[in-house]
Amino acid sequence: MTAAATGIERARQGPPLLQLSGRRRQRRFRQYLPAYLLIAPAILATLVFQYIPIAFSGYWSFTEFNGLISPKWVGLANYTALLSDPKFVKSFFNTVLFVVMGMGIGPPLGLASAFLLNNTVRFRAFFRAAYFLPVMTSLVVVATIWKILLNDAGIINQILRFFALPAHAWLSDTTTALPAVTVTSIWQGFGFETVVFLAALQAISRDYYDAAAVDGANWWQRLRYVTLPALRPTIMFIYIIGIIGSFQVFDQVYVMTLGGPINSTRTIVFDLYDRFRTLQLGEASAVAYVLLAILATLSYVQIRVFERR
Amino acid sequence: MRSKAQHPLVLLALVALVGAACTGGGASTSSSSSSGGSHEPVTITVWDYYGTATPFSDEVIQAFEDQYPWITVDHQAVGYEASHDKFTIAVSGGAPPDLATIDMTWIPTFASNGLFANVSDLSGGQINGKPIDQTYSQGALDAMTFDGNIVTAMFDFDVYALYYRADQFKAKGIDVPKTWDEMKAAATKLAEDTNGDGKCDKFCFEVYGNDCFHWCQFLFQSGGSILNSDGTAAAFNDQAGLSAMEYYKSFLDDGSGMYWGTDQGDPMAGIKDERLGMFQDGPYWMGLMKDGAPEQKGDWAVATAPYSQEPGSYLGGTGLSIPVNAEHPQEAWLFAQYMLQLPQQLLLYQLAGAAPATAEALQSPQLTKPDPYFGGEAPFPVFQEALATATHFPYVKEWDSMDTDIGNMVEGVMLGKSTPQEALQQGAEEVNAEVQG
Amino acid sequence: MSEPAPTLTSRSADLAERSLARKRQRPTRRLSRLVVYALLIVTSILMLGPFYWMLATSFKPAADVFASPPKLIPNPWTLENYRFVFHNLPFTRYFFNSVVVTGSIVGLNVVFGTAAAYAFAKLRFPGRNALFFLLLVTLMVPFQVNLIPLFRMMVILHDVNSHLGVDSYSALILPGMIQVFGIFLMRQFLQSIPDEVLESARVDGASEFRILRSIVFPVAAPGMATLAIFTFLGAWNDFLWPLIVISDDAHKTLPLGLASLQARNTINWGNTMAGTALTAAPLILVFIVLQRRFIEGLAAGAVKG
Repeated sequence: MTAAATGIERARQGPPLLQLSGRRRQRRFRQYLPAYLLIAPAILATLVFQYIPIAFSGYWSFTEFNGLISPKWVGLANYTALLSDPKFVKSFFNTVLFVVMGMGIGPPLGLASAFLLNNTVRFRAFFRAAYFLPVMTSLVVVATIWKILLNDAGIINQILRFFALPAHAWLSDTTTALPAVTVTSIWQGFGFETVVFLAALQAISRDYYDAAAVDGANWWQRLRYVTLPALRPTIMFIYIIGIIGSFQVFDQVYVMTLGGPINSTRTIVFDLYDRFRTLQLGEASAVAYVLLAILATLSYVQIRVFERR
Repeated sequence: MRSKAQHPLVLLALVALVGAACTGGGASTSSSSSSGGSHEPVTITVWDYYGTATPFSDEVIQAFEDQYPWITVDHQAVGYEASHDKFTIAVSGGAPPDLATIDMTWIPTFASNGLFANVSDLSGGQINGKPIDQTYSQGALDAMTFDGNIVTAMFDFDVYALYYRADQFKAKGIDVPKTWDEMKAAATKLAEDTNGDGKCDKFCFEVYGNDCFHWCQFLFQSGGSILNSDGTAAAFNDQAGLSAMEYYKSFLDDGSGMYWGTDQGDPMAGIKDERLGMFQDGPYWMGLMKDGAPEQKGDWAVATAPYSQEPGSYLGGTGLSIPVNAEHPQEAWLFAQYMLQLPQQLLLYQLAGAAPATAEALQSPQLTKPDPYFGGEAPFPVFQEALATATHFPYVKEWDSMDTDIGNMVEGVMLGKSTPQEALQQGAEEVNAEVQG
Repeated sequence: MSEPAPTLTSRSADLAERSLARKRQRPTRRLSRLVVYALLIVTSILMLGPFYWMLATSFKPAADVFASPPKLIPNPWTLENYRFVFHNLPFTRYFFNSVVVTGSIVGLNVVFGTAAAYAFAKLRFPGRNALFFLLLVTLMVPFQVNLIPLFRMMVILHDVNSHLGVDSYSALILPGMIQVFGIFLMRQFLQSIPDEVLESARVDGASEFRILRSIVFPVAAPGMATLAIFTFLGAWNDFLWPLIVISDDAHKTLPLGLASLQARNTINWGNTMAGTALTAAPLILVFIVLQRRFIEGLAAGAVKG
């Protein structure tokens, strides 16, 4: 780097704020003013439309509140009640199962598809669009379509019967309902991962592969030593966003099963919503905060894991 | 339904009604908006969940607005599924409608949270000039009352009777069953197993798996009840409950019944393709079948549901309720009363295929006419008869969760996940936990 | 990650080696190519099949919806389902509402979101990381939590001014005017803009706003297309919030309007599919038009992270 460049760099970073005296601090603030102005709408909107509601829910989580009468303070009672509430515990396990299945299958599927697409030349745009179309469609639409596909008299069962395979009441059976909802979600979402991975694959310089070929690497070694390491930031992005999103699964359950049969598809956010609609606002808010704690912890752990390696 | 307001009798009725409304308005205490005396223009918001086949048609509303020129009705269609959540959130959040259609089974939760205005006070004990207890049967009045106050005006009623393929009964020499045993025999004779797998494929008895609506009537019919008399503990895990559960399951076991779970979707599909030949459900199915399976006209009939100990059914339906914090409760009550008048009640059957709840409507000859769809018989009186012996669900705060628990319990047995004994025991424990905990 | 220097073999030897390798692999390569295409076609059918089924069902009369064997092509086909939807709903009004609301939300997000993303990506100021973290945390809070408090805010707003709050466009637009995920994505994207370009503009005396307008916006076009499409997707399809906060027909959006078709105890699948097709159609069209830009922008934003 040239001296001028380093000079500019250091000037841009600026000296630590605390060491400045009054007038310099004013000037500094004016220097930062554009930045603050640029972020102001976003910060303000977030404060008003996200943090104020979040704060209210936080307060309500320590109360017994049905919306009409004044909230009554109950301390941690809602939280402890949740731990022993079979509905909430079931919701928690269902959600974890959903996330594990979804994130265990979705991204690898996306990566595999990206490899496929990377190896084709013709019609790539068409195939890419086909993969991505479900992502573009709302979950409500996707869930409605799948509900009719999975119907006992629906086409999936008809195809199965045609091949003499056992048909099933997919959404009515406690063992198959959650997998059915998961399959719907994977179908809808893995196109996103495909597209992202594809772009990442295409960004890997050919030179790496050439070097590996010269060193006599086979396809497995190429994968392991060139491709996967190069994809690491992308994989991290996909998993962090994916886990946060999957934990909040709601729309599909609301449209397809309403948490049933017998709570086998009841998820955390559905549990939350159910409590809201029966005016148990205190418990519902407690569920929300438990979820927030889980997600914050998970994200932190993931970031650490990725950064250490 | 084209009554024109020029008729002098209508004018007289109008004066009488306004007079009644004014006295009613004077008697009630806390209404901040304009009472019967002043007539500043008022707009009332009415939520209606009937969907496209609604009795709140444009003509009906126009006629009301003609009678009450200072009231404008803002009629808003809210989907049935969404209605429940919207109502709770809107009322508790401070933006309530003035009048809403409420499913009677929502009353326990809503009323126990104080969402409803007190109709006893608001109405001064009268509907359209008559005392409320002359407008409804005792069963209906019970269903409208929570904690001693009337919280809703029943609009349509829902009780279950037996729908059956009369043509198949005739062809197979089956008599109309009156007892459980007879119904079993009838189902066995009626059912056909077309692919030899031991399970019914055609003309089956519908075993609707996962709610209290369909199973609880068997409980009532065997002399049982959901809660004990003080409403403090579950009572359905007794002998009556066991016999009801075993009876219901036996249809699946002996191959004469077809399980209908949530994902099967609309039972209408099963009716249309003749998978179902017998089922128990409410009066609105009469309208649904005429729309959905018109080609089966003349094949069906309706009979009182067979019982083992005593006739019994759940009692539900739709009520017209005014939120406790409605802006214009007086005007809303005027509109409610209007909808409870005979012409509008008859429209319920005509347009929405639902059964009107007021005694006057029930006695109307319009509803006791023979119906060609149902083989020239009159199906309505069957439902009326059932209304007399129907019981509403327990009006306790925790009913919503209890309902789910009971539904899960039934589903568990029907899906073979637990024996009737175990399921009833567990269901009782869960319900006790709700009611006592 | 910085790139290592390429290996030392000369260019021609390189090429010769590669062509030799290609010749050796030709038979297997053709087979693997076939397999790849076969897999892609099968997957495409799986991806697009359900949409076709939705479309086909929307043209079927009620009796044929679950016909066995299933009719791939509706025969007889009918426009009855669409007629039902148009007849029973003020469809054009709903469509117009959706356009207004979604358009506003997209516009606000693209402008203010990109501005904020630029600041977070390229400018340094005290509290930058903390404020960005503040935004990210909201991603972990499901919307359902905010539902009731937000509703009450809208009720209060309505009391203040009856044209705002409940049953108005503002109730739908205001809470959605900033999508944090969008800012997150745009920030990733904008980080790849070389600092030198911005620096020289600053040295020339341009204000940050000028830089934003003249340099950032043009360069960030693919990213902004991405942001636009994501936001469009979320806003157009939003169901739960409009359900709670809008009751009158004059302001209902399309998904909400279609839901009110549902009768009390039955589902008419033909009508439902017609409604679903009508709601999904504008999105699919937008996607087809903006597809390439969008996928480029999305990928760039995610990859460069």
